[in-house]
Amino acid sequence: MNSVSKRFKSALGNQQVLLLIVLAVMILGFSLKSPDFFARPVFANILSDWYPLILIAIGETFVIISGGIDLSVGATVGVSGVVSAIAMEHLTNSHYGPDLTLFIGFLVAIGVGLVVGILNTLMITKAGVVPFIATLVTLGAGEGLSVVFTGGSPIGGGPSNAINLSVANIFNLFSRPGILIIVLVIVLGLYLHKTRFGRYTFAIGSNPFAARAAGINVNRHLAKVYILSAVLASLAGYYFYLRLSVGAPTTGNGAELQAIAAVVIGGVALSGGQGNFLGTVLGAAIISVVASGLLFINVPANWKQVVVAALIFIAVFLQELRTRVRK
Amino acid sequence: MTMTTPLYEVKNVSKHYGSVIALDDVSLSIAPGEVIGLVGDNGAGKSTLVKVLSGAHEPTHGQIFLEGKERKWGSPHEALEAGVETLYQDSGLAPHLSVSANVFLGREEYVKGVFGKFGFLAQKKMDIDAHANLERVGIAVPQSNRSISQLSGGQRQAVAIGRAVSWASKVIILDEPTNHLGARQAGEVLAIIKRAKAQGLGVIFISHTLPHVLDVTDRIVVLRLGKVVADAPTSEFDAEKLLGTITGLIDSK
Repeated sequence: MNSVSKRFKSALGNQQVLLLIVLAVMILGFSLKSPDFFARPVFANILSDWYPLILIAIGETFVIISGGIDLSVGATVGVSGVVSAIAMEHLTNSHYGPDLTLFIGFLVAIGVGLVVGILNTLMITKAGVVPFIATLVTLGAGEGLSVVFTGGSPIGGGPSNAINLSVANIFNLFSRPGILIIVLVIVLGLYLHKTRFGRYTFAIGSNPFAARAAGINVNRHLAKVYILSAVLASLAGYYFYLRLSVGAPTTGNGAELQAIAAVVIGGVALSGGQGNFLGTVLGAAIISVVASGLLFINVPANWKQVVVAALIFIAVFLQELRTRVRK
Repeated sequence: MTMTTPLYEVKNVSKHYGSVIALDDVSLSIAPGEVIGLVGDNGAGKSTLVKVLSGAHEPTHGQIFLEGKERKWGSPHEALEAGVETLYQDSGLAPHLSVSANVFLGREEYVKGVFGKFGFLAQKKMDIDAHANLERVGIAVPQSNRSISQLSGGQRQAVAIGRAVSWASKVIILDEPTNHLGARQAGEVLAIIKRAKAQGLGVIFISHTLPHVLDVTDRIVVLRLGKVVADAPTSEFDAEKLLGTITGLIDSK
């Protein structure tokens, strides 16, 4: 009896279990209120919202666990998407094959991510700018450049088969890029929790002095973390291109806040050193479900932000409560 | 002074920070199995000397010898790899990581095979070995997979010292290891130092708590204003004389 209630309490004390319950209750609630919600195409759509969000949220998870923050991910989604779209428009006009064009567009997007990541790294480790400000700089520059490059309107004219790639044709639930993203997320989860790379990320966020004293090259590690985050954001930018067949300058605006929301709801402490990738996965899933679910129960889409805001507060409040109980 | 080669030695070391002279022509040596106490008032140059000894700072002038061979530490990591381990004041551990993750921080072991090549950690093995390593130097920690933040202050310090002592193969530098500890826990730390000495390590013990210094050291080096003002066997000091030498009320040179 005692051990059962103890186990029950420790399960409730576990953020991931709580999140899973919240997610299930939400899906159940939306389905009861609107039976149309519980259908395969709806879940396929929720997943296609989740893919780009989880990409940037996983990058943000590494960054925040390392004790920093990356505000530039949303802007990186936009700028990598439009630069890649411009490149593909040119290639299509010069009669490259669609597959090669898509592949070069993919490399261009990643290249943009690398540039942003390296800029963030240089500002943080060489110039000694705090991550919040350094990534605020690239956020502003990235959003600005997206508009400059495009004149403010979406760039299309790329390969016509792009949109086919994002169709959910695996069990009518997953798209092919989606499957790749799921695999990537699992690999990164293992990297965070099972490898030296992840261990050093936690160590630096927990106590950078101890990490340095133990012989860890803190700056080099942080460089990898910020570059990872930016490259994942550029993958999200490329994913949006596949999904929409255009690179729009406003894509990704505000995505950094959604990513941070997913991470915080998932139980990652903004003070660094603590967190769990499964929490981020579920946090991002909850945000994606809320976004679709509200439409089904005829709540205007703008309420989503209010609901997410409330979830952030509840998640952080529970965390606070738990640390208080422990003490 | 014996004629055998000292284990670790600094000769005529000076350290200038701009126009500030933090260390002025300091020489110091330590033999295997010897515990020396490094004492001095705030600003006497203890921290700077620790940084030079641990490889964190390069001296402006002077030489460093390990087992008779001249060394120039490019980083604390080089000193670590050569067997000179340092426990810094307050910066020892990552509180969110487990005991074993801390013990093996920077020295991780990997699983065998292709996963190991990708950096996958041999967590179970490190848990077991961390426990064994700490036990070997006389520290009983409940579970090596518990996070440091769940331990008491005394247990944390024990883990930090145990980690340093268990990895040190030649010299261990302990910067204020008994700070903020209760009498019983401080006693445990001193016992660890005595065991490290028995294993043949050279121990450099930096402390403000003079009774601890008098209890555990073989020799005491007193710094004042960046200079060595006394270097003598501990038996030649009592609390009053040591305090007088530190403050400069007694001039021993």
